[in-house]
Amino acid sequence: MAIKLIGFAQSPTTRRVVLVLNELGIPYELESVTEIQTIKTEEFITKKHPFGKVPVLCDGDHVVNESRAICRYLVSKYQKDSKTVLYPDDVHKASLVEQYISYELSYYDPPLSKVLYQEIYAKRRGEPTDEAVVKQSLEELSKTLDIYEKILKGKEYLNGEYSLADLFHIPCAHIIYSATSHKDIFDSRPHVKQWIERLQNRDAYKKTYAE
Amino acid sequence: MTIKLIGFPYSGPTMRVIITLRELGLPYEFETPANFEVLKTEDFLANKNPFGKIPVLFDGDFRIIESRSICRYLASKYQGKNNNTILIPNDVHKAGLVDQFVSFEIFYYDPPAFKFVSQEVFAEKFWNKNPDPEIIKQGREELIKVLDIYEKLLEGKEYLNGEFSLADIYHSPYTHYVYGVAKHSELWDSRPNVKNWWNRLRNREAVKKTLEEIP
Repeated sequence: MAIKLIGFAQSPTTRRVVLVLNELGIPYELESVTEIQTIKTEEFITKKHPFGKVPVLCDGDHVVNESRAICRYLVSKYQKDSKTVLYPDDVHKASLVEQYISYELSYYDPPLSKVLYQEIYAKRRGEPTDEAVVKQSLEELSKTLDIYEKILKGKEYLNGEYSLADLFHIPCAHIIYSATSHKDIFDSRPHVKQWIERLQNRDAYKKTYAE
Repeated sequence: MTIKLIGFPYSGPTMRVIITLRELGLPYEFETPANFEVLKTEDFLANKNPFGKIPVLFDGDFRIIESRSICRYLASKYQGKNNNTILIPNDVHKAGLVDQFVSFEIFYYDPPAFKFVSQEVFAEKFWNKNPDPEIIKQGREELIKVLDIYEKLLEGKEYLNGEFSLADIYHSPYTHYVYGVAKHSELWDSRPNVKNWWNRLRNREAVKKTLEEIP
């Protein structure tokens, strides 16, 4: 039975999971959500996600939700069948990957999400863009990327070798590059810029964003 | 070689790590920085945490930051070694669900709980500001919706994923702050499953001791 992924095809959270599926070469079916009402029904809430959100992954009878939890589950179960290592076996290396995953959650995603909300999602909802929020968020993100610039010195990826931590950063960065005018926030920092380019050149990236 | 933890005993993230260390029966040294300014010095940023935050853990020469990464590392390395407490299940499906509940904590539970904590506990004490009633009101409305969902999730279960796990530990510090310090206990106590869950959690040795040590 194929793995089924339920989500909004273009959303960064769904794409986070698709990136892992593509990195590990796992076949899957994407059930695209077209109307938000489908994920707010009693049935969806009881059987798929109690908070009425996507993505949700169904692997046979096993249902997992929350994009980063899904990604970790896929790695735990299927990485051994793939040549790509997203999560090291060594406990010390793994913990550093977790650390960088936490940076993404704590210092990268929050300001970046605010920028994306104002510049893309607010517009779709017909809300005015709050320029002050965009400005403050870009300042916060700049401070984070200054730290990343140092972390990436002499390294190809955050923990040296490519890992889940790098992958988690991709979806929101992709939207900044493809749909906003703010890519200079990455490109003005040489190590960060090279890191992003390396990520964009991976086969799994190209496959995910070609679809 | 000892484990050294740097942090403040009243900080939520630090408490997550302390509870984990205690649950795993691990001895450690605890170092409290003299004040917040220490965290922004060149030395701290270069050698402890480039983001100028606590907690920071040293295991011999190995350094790790970010409370949930630290907890996960400790569980991966030490669980089952000093006692029988398992915080991350070995079974890949169960572990996946624990991660899911961790994600609920990060994205749905923590943000509204922190709205209370920041305004009702930290604002005056640390930032010299008056609590903002608008933020508290928002926090309350959001947290009520989340606790209604948790009430269903906890039906027939002692802990979020059935057995005690890292996910339950992570919820403890801010729950204590909103329940016990800011005194909004009715939010939990009015929901029987949630009430039992929190009672069970806060009466665990490791959790109880850590909460009692908040200055």
